[in-house]
Amino acid sequence: MRINDWFLGLLLAALGIAALVAAQAFPNIPRQEYGAGTFPAIIGSLMTALGSLLVLSGCRQHLPLFSWHGKVSLSRSLACFAAVIAFILAYLLLTPLLGFPIVVPVLLALMIGWLSGGRWVMAVSVAAVMSAMVWLAFAELLHVPLPLGVLEEVIY
Amino acid sequence: MSELLTALGMVFSWDVILVVLGASLFGLFIGAIPGLSATMATALLVPLTFFMDPLPAVASIVAATAMAIVAGDIPGALLRIPGTPASAAYTEEAYQMGQKGFLGQALGVNLLCSATGGLIGVAVLAGFAPLIAEFALSFTSDEYFWLALLGLSCAVLVSGGVPLKGALSMLLGLMISMVGMDAVSGQVRFTFGVSELIGGISILPVLIGLFAVTEILRRLPEIGRDVIPQVPEVGNPFRGACSLMWKYKGGVMRGGLLGTVIGALPGAGADIASWVGYALARRFSRTPEKFGTGHPEGLVAASSANNAALAGAYVPALVFGIPGDTITAIIIGVLMMKGITPGPDVFTTDSTLVMAIFLVFLLANLLLLPLGLLAVKSTRHLLALPTSVLYPLILLFCIVGAYAANNSLLDVGLMLVLGLLAYVMTENGFPIGPMILAVILGPVVESNFMRSMIKSNGDLSMLFDRPIAMALGALALLVWGSIILGSVRSAFNQRKNGSGDGKPGVCTQ
Repeated sequence: MRINDWFLGLLLAALGIAALVAAQAFPNIPRQEYGAGTFPAIIGSLMTALGSLLVLSGCRQHLPLFSWHGKVSLSRSLACFAAVIAFILAYLLLTPLLGFPIVVPVLLALMIGWLSGGRWVMAVSVAAVMSAMVWLAFAELLHVPLPLGVLEEVIY
Repeated sequence: MSELLTALGMVFSWDVILVVLGASLFGLFIGAIPGLSATMATALLVPLTFFMDPLPAVASIVAATAMAIVAGDIPGALLRIPGTPASAAYTEEAYQMGQKGFLGQALGVNLLCSATGGLIGVAVLAGFAPLIAEFALSFTSDEYFWLALLGLSCAVLVSGGVPLKGALSMLLGLMISMVGMDAVSGQVRFTFGVSELIGGISILPVLIGLFAVTEILRRLPEIGRDVIPQVPEVGNPFRGACSLMWKYKGGVMRGGLLGTVIGALPGAGADIASWVGYALARRFSRTPEKFGTGHPEGLVAASSANNAALAGAYVPALVFGIPGDTITAIIIGVLMMKGITPGPDVFTTDSTLVMAIFLVFLLANLLLLPLGLLAVKSTRHLLALPTSVLYPLILLFCIVGAYAANNSLLDVGLMLVLGLLAYVMTENGFPIGPMILAVILGPVVESNFMRSMIKSNGDLSMLFDRPIAMALGALALLVWGSIILGSVRSAFNQRKNGSGDGKPGVCTQ
């Protein structure tokens, strides 16, 4: 995935300006010219300057704004990105409600099944075993409070 | 002497040995599978180290990375697919040796040279680090400011690709490091009202996002596309390997020493060491025309260089708290989580821990031989593992790992955002190495600068007041000068050629 440098430079320069503006609000240390805003201001200015340079060099390249040079087709790649994002977002949104032991085996089985081209029996069994192992390792051995969600009421 | 005995007792306790063995096997697994790198192994290990004492935590990372680099050589020799980027320099050479019927010997030489290179690196680390630490005890905030700045500039310089993009990647890392409460003034910055961010962005989601999620995003679409060819049978790897190594003993020593020095440079890690080791071996060879045709001379130098670099990177990390590569950047993060700030003081306050770390290195490098043999024998099975199962499982480890440090779902979200950012960056030629070093070094640069300014009442010239500070400052300015010069030159060349670099960036390690 190649995005033209002028666009990336523009984004970075904008981020630099935002940091520069935010830095003005931070107070200096008493009786000093420096304070919490000094570094954000330096980094913001450098980012604006270097981002602008990138804009200039991007403009000279005469390349399209977006092009795809991957070995795999764009649609396949986008589907994979969407799957990873959906996996993590589903974990973030659903585990506090339904709990790790319900959400994770389902998510894993769906992803493995899809990636392996429909070998659902293998996907479901691997997902069940690996979810149980991760639960045992992190929740039981290392005492990480993995979310239980509704199961909390069932267990306690 | 009593310190050595205490350190030996610490290392040869059952929990450390168990951790070293477990981590070595984990490193073997990650290294042998093409696409999974030593840095990724480290990023995935860190959540577990959170629950360990400092020594087993460091031991696990030392063992896993040394093993991953060695295991990465194996698919290179068997299938011409490097297991980790650190093996890429001599993959062709090892594969060609295999084609000539010397597959066992190629792998055996790899193993022996890796272990020897690692041991040379440890010897240099153990010999020089305490001496430099004694010298560094007199350093003040001025010297640390310049050292950290020098670390950042070297990281940009050696990251490869366009220096402008390396510098922008570093600035993004510095921005991430500024989130949260400022260590000197106590001012809360860039938290956007999220109270969980007051303590700053935790290093764990940053590491996992940059090095694991990005790789998953890059590799997932390729599942099912490449068919792994039939893995050939391997004979006894050690038959004839010792005599071959003896024949090129000068190359092994040179590779080991060169690797250690390159590893100690901030930002340059095992992969750069192996490329430089290979190139230098070719330059000094009496038969450079044989390189690339299955000639062991380059293989010997480069495979000892990459393992030596692992140990070399610990010199600046332990002595100054300035990481030499991405892996030591992670180690510094881990030690800081344990309340130990790497620096010259550690050599006096925690001298047994430092000695124990040197011993762990020794142990991990000696273990490379038996476990490497196991890796050679088991690669056939590891390569048969379906990636359609492996990557979703790694993704699950990423999520649980990012969550485990602070029990925070916000960290999981940050991991995703940073993973996507790093993906776009690597696809567009921005190196990731400077970014992670900047996340670690940002607070060091800022707090030392502020301390110096408070001491000198805001007088900037005081930063050059002491001789060492002046030398370091001059060196840092020199490196920045060469970066700017490089940027101008690349911009000029680009105009002359009329096109962009067009080359996707390579993630260090």
